[in-house]
Amino acid sequence: MTMLEEAKEKWTGAINEVVIGATKAEGGTRAAGVTIGGDKSLPFMHYEAPIKNRPIVALEVWDREPDDWPQPLMEALGDAVKSPVAWAKKGIEEFGADLICLKLMSTHPDFGDATAKDAVQTVKAVLAATSAPLIIWGCEHDEKDNEVLPRCSEAAKGEKCLMGVVTEDNYKTLVASCIADGHSLIGLSPIDINIAKQINILVMEMGFPANRIVMYPTTGALGYGLEYCYSIQERGRVAALSGDKMMAMPVICMVGQEAWHAKEARAPKEEAPDWGDEKTRGLFWEIATAVALLEAGSDILVLRHPAAIKATKDTINKLMA
Amino acid sequence: MKTFSVKFLPDDKTVQATAGKSVLEAAIVAGIPINSVCGGDGVCGKCRVIVKSGQVEAEPNVFLTRREIQRGMALACRTFIQGDLVIEVPLESRVGGVPQLASEDAVRFGRISERVGEGAVFARNPLCRKEYLELSAPCLDDNISDQERLYRELRQRRDLPIMQMGLAILQKLPDLLRKSDWKATALLGHRGGTTEVMDVEAGNTSQKQLGIALDVGTTTVVAHLVDLQSSETLATQAKYNSQISLGDDVISRIMYSSTDTRRKQLRDLIVNDINDLIAGLMMASKVRLHDVTYIVCAGNTTMVHLLLGLDPANIRRDPYVPCVSLPPAIRAVEIGIKINPRGLLLALPSVSSYVGGDVVADVLVTGMTDSPDLSLLIDMGTNGELVIGNAEWLVCCSASAGPAFEGGGITCGMRATRGAIEHLTLSAGGAIAEVSIVGGGKPLGICGSGLIDAIAELLRNGCIDRRGRFVETACGGKLREAESGEPEIVLFPGDQTALGKDIVLTEADINNFIHSKGAIYMAAECLMAHVDLSFNDLKHVYIAGGFGNYLNIERGVEIGLLPDIERQKFHFVGNGSVQGAKIVLLSRDALAYVQTRIADAMTYFELSSDHKYMNEYSSCLFLPHTNIEKFPSLRNKIGAGGGTPAAAPSAGPRRSATAGSARRK
Repeated sequence: MTMLEEAKEKWTGAINEVVIGATKAEGGTRAAGVTIGGDKSLPFMHYEAPIKNRPIVALEVWDREPDDWPQPLMEALGDAVKSPVAWAKKGIEEFGADLICLKLMSTHPDFGDATAKDAVQTVKAVLAATSAPLIIWGCEHDEKDNEVLPRCSEAAKGEKCLMGVVTEDNYKTLVASCIADGHSLIGLSPIDINIAKQINILVMEMGFPANRIVMYPTTGALGYGLEYCYSIQERGRVAALSGDKMMAMPVICMVGQEAWHAKEARAPKEEAPDWGDEKTRGLFWEIATAVALLEAGSDILVLRHPAAIKATKDTINKLMA
Repeated sequence: MKTFSVKFLPDDKTVQATAGKSVLEAAIVAGIPINSVCGGDGVCGKCRVIVKSGQVEAEPNVFLTRREIQRGMALACRTFIQGDLVIEVPLESRVGGVPQLASEDAVRFGRISERVGEGAVFARNPLCRKEYLELSAPCLDDNISDQERLYRELRQRRDLPIMQMGLAILQKLPDLLRKSDWKATALLGHRGGTTEVMDVEAGNTSQKQLGIALDVGTTTVVAHLVDLQSSETLATQAKYNSQISLGDDVISRIMYSSTDTRRKQLRDLIVNDINDLIAGLMMASKVRLHDVTYIVCAGNTTMVHLLLGLDPANIRRDPYVPCVSLPPAIRAVEIGIKINPRGLLLALPSVSSYVGGDVVADVLVTGMTDSPDLSLLIDMGTNGELVIGNAEWLVCCSASAGPAFEGGGITCGMRATRGAIEHLTLSAGGAIAEVSIVGGGKPLGICGSGLIDAIAELLRNGCIDRRGRFVETACGGKLREAESGEPEIVLFPGDQTALGKDIVLTEADINNFIHSKGAIYMAAECLMAHVDLSFNDLKHVYIAGGFGNYLNIERGVEIGLLPDIERQKFHFVGNGSVQGAKIVLLSRDALAYVQTRIADAMTYFELSSDHKYMNEYSSCLFLPHTNIEKFPSLRNKIGAGGGTPAAAPSAGPRRSATAGSARRK
């Protein structure tokens, strides 16, 4: 019998390594930073190249109590949702999230219109309450973000936060802040590999380092465009591994936000008696989406349900074993 | 129904119009050329007029600012007559002026003139020509009919197996031959294997054989008067296609032509334009209309349909079938064109509904089908056309680029007529360093080539980012907020312009232009990919279209309109339609060649069926391109992450800009 040679893809490129969070020695106050990216092969192809950094899981935390999240999710989170500080603390200490993704929802003009000062206080309080790295996400209202995020950036100076989001139409203000305060950035593109690359170029042409950019190519939940997002992410990764340095940025996915938006995750039992237990349906939807996107090459998964965090981390452990 | 009088200024023309008609309709009756890109649908905002006095009813619209409405500004198509009116048509709203003639510049591209004549590819043998005959007088020994006598003489000179002669000629023949002492000139027309004696004239008129090469464009109509014996061009004339007032592009004109009356209206407009041009040619060259016996025209499929009075409706309906692709030679008089009443008109064959005789003419002119070298032809316009191939094969596609190259959809955009900013160099902060204006004087607006320059220069100076968005800090205070709320840069303040109105470029203008240039580049890339070749395989890139002639190659590459290959591979064809028509006018062999080697040999490739097109289109909506590695020569200038682009313009554009200024009279 002849031995078959193992077919290995020979890639010329690699995904950039991005560090989130700075320790005291590095000028911040985090217990440890977390590094993502660095892959030299498609996800979990251990035999092609060793995987340097495992994907990480963030808990999505809002600065105001969500009023339209389904009951099973709210029950799992408990009273913590009333305070971003308690929510974040619980996320790290109990749920086992690697880091916190703090969404400044209350600053949106339609959802409370909280001031930059309020947002700065929240950011400072969350940073004080946990020692995990922090993602700071604006309300995606361009004018308001440009007012609020630079102040948050300044308040978190040195902490090497990951801040977002910038788009093709609105990037200059936040890029300038992140350059000044040493943070990393999230570039949002609407499921378009070209626009993702264009944002990276625009940001870098302002002098921003490539190894501080994370791409958010937008996320689709299971049954709601997941396969489209999957293939966009995969194409991006193949381009990066083939040597396109402008696509070599790690990827963040807003899994919880999208999964819990699906009708299948939200519908109460009375509306869909045949769809199975309401308590686990949404959770499974979130896990299924998260696990699929791991295989597409996601580096940060932002989740909502504590059990989804656990299940996704278990899966990562298995895939890394 | 009540009628009112409508007086148009400054023309001082008055027409009667019934109540409720639009000012635009009255203007068409009055023959006032008002710019109406959308054909009166109220969506383009270009037909601005000023109501000086009188009662009108105006529909609200989004194009006019409050200040403009207070000044009496109104859209002609949305303003309805309710009383006697005095209307002023401002310069900016006129489809006026004379377009720039690109043909003079095409001489630089020397190959055209060498295509017909002795030792050239095509012999000089026009489809329609004169033959001087000295017949022997009949006698009892030789008493064949007058017609046979004429045929016999012709057959002694040439191999003409089948001949025809119409009744009208026969009726005048006996008298004419006897009065001219059997010395006469026969006008012969060839159709297929048949030779028709189209006319017989007394004496020797064979020295007076004239033809007209015609470019029937969607926007411009160009006519060249050609001596069929010497191949010399005696005069040239150009004007804007008057059909513009009924729609700016082919689709809006097809939609307009839905009834017989409207189709006739469209035909009359173009026929009048052609007759005007012919009259101009006669004036300029002092020849007789009677001696003009042959017209060859090249135009896109729709324009040829409209000229011949054919229904173009199916051109825009799936599966996009034209009425005819090889129109027969007809008598010009049949459609109302005034030359010799027996004279012929021939339209060049088309390939498909969207690849017309104009493209076929371009290919003929470039000579790309004579060579094994791979060539790409790009005809830039609202409907861009691209052809790739060589002597063996041809593949073409059409790309809908939008009207930006012709100034459409651009706030201060205009066609390349008097007053248009044609070339532009900026210095730091977006200040004007050099400018050239068509016809000199103060600028009126900006045309396609000026836009390319402006955008390339704004990018070079860091005033816009690679997405085409303004960088406020680099615009030296020239940036402001337009009434619409978007940012705009003031290129020329009102005190420096012809109309006293600021000439600006808005972010939306830049964005529109980026979409146009992206469509052309993407089409070129898809076409190359479709035949499994790359830009580097090209030996020549030919740029056709009136706009293409003034295009600065270096800047065209810098903004990602043209592929980044050696600059000496680019050639300007100029007005390929009229040049191609001229070659066919002079040579019947060229006509056969056009039919068999070009029109029949061309494979049409439908871009919209290509997945790549939609997937990759967004990659072209960037300056020059999302994948900078496709533009290796620009990498150092706009390097990835290399900060703002280099501000110093290279030598290339300067040289061309000077050439551009020298061209202007």
